[in-house]
Amino acid sequence: MSPNPIADRLESMAQAIAERVVHLVMDAIDLDAVLDGVDIDRIIQRVDIDALINRVDVDAIIDRVDVDKIIERVDVDKIIERVDVNSIVGRVDVDHIVGELDIDALMEQTELGSIIARSTTGVVSEVLDVIRAQGVGLDDFFARWTNRLLRRKESELPLGPPSLVGITSAAGPAPLSQGTVAS
Amino acid sequence: MTVPPPVELAMGRQGHYAGVVSRLAAFGLDILALWGIYTLGVAGLSFAVQLLTDRTLHVDDHQLVALTALVVWSFVYFAYQWTLGGRTIGMALLGIQVRSADGTPVGVRSAVIRTLTLPLSLVFFFIGCLGILIGRERRGWHDHFARTCVVYSWDARAARLRWLAKQDLKPRTVEEPAAG
Repeated sequence: MSPNPIADRLESMAQAIAERVVHLVMDAIDLDAVLDGVDIDRIIQRVDIDALINRVDVDAIIDRVDVDKIIERVDVDKIIERVDVNSIVGRVDVDHIVGELDIDALMEQTELGSIIARSTTGVVSEVLDVIRAQGVGLDDFFARWTNRLLRRKESELPLGPPSLVGITSAAGPAPLSQGTVAS
Repeated sequence: MTVPPPVELAMGRQGHYAGVVSRLAAFGLDILALWGIYTLGVAGLSFAVQLLTDRTLHVDDHQLVALTALVVWSFVYFAYQWTLGGRTIGMALLGIQVRSADGTPVGVRSAVIRTLTLPLSLVFFFIGCLGILIGRERRGWHDHFARTCVVYSWDARAARLRWLAKQDLKPRTVEEPAAG
């Protein structure tokens, strides 16, 4: 039995009144209106995210992650099946890669040179290369002087049929299907 | 020190209009080949006639027939080879090729028209070939008639690789002087 029964009763009455008042107040408040009035951006601006991140122990989190278990659950075959390899290959600029290659260095560092030399180099092809190169040189000489006499710029003249030279801006002309004579 | 190969001049020319020197040189080689094969044919025929009939065949006695045979042979020589691969023996040696004006492989019709109109370009001191020298697309009369052009088909890059390969095999006697 409490030494002061009146005080106990008053206390429980006050408790009941307080709960009732809180309920009434809560019912009376429009929380949506209150939230609408809150400027969340401003609150976020005041939050020091760097400080928060600094308090996070990332190493501890990583230590707790079982990477092997995650990898075991990954179906690699399924991922590979979903990859469109043709699309990826199609986006690779092979001509650009070939253009970047230092053929001279490559030939010096590999046995490829010896193999090609043994298989294809002959006196005839060498003579043909020289004759053709001389022919191209003389062609250029006459073309240059003709253009000079006719007072026209070489850059304004077409290089060749559009279908053969139109697609050859960087990587050289398209190979001719029947035209590769030197071999 | 290594000397750069002469083929560097021609690098990346595949598909470009061929110049007058290459074309005339190829034509000269074709005339040699055409005449050489014709002479061999006549000699073979004479030998066969002599073997079979014990008579000697003199071309001078059949000039009209010989001329007709030469004309027909010339037509076959050029038209057949241009139809087959767009190039004659001479053109193959010089690394050039006949293509349609738009760059596609030459067809039978164009090859035949080109062969028939080639003599027109050659008469009057090759006046029909002047376009090869001064024309924007380096085309002669016969090219215009047949709607064809002649381009470089020589793979100069492959020639350069061969040259590099050969350098790789050679003992390097002269070294590059050291810097400084």
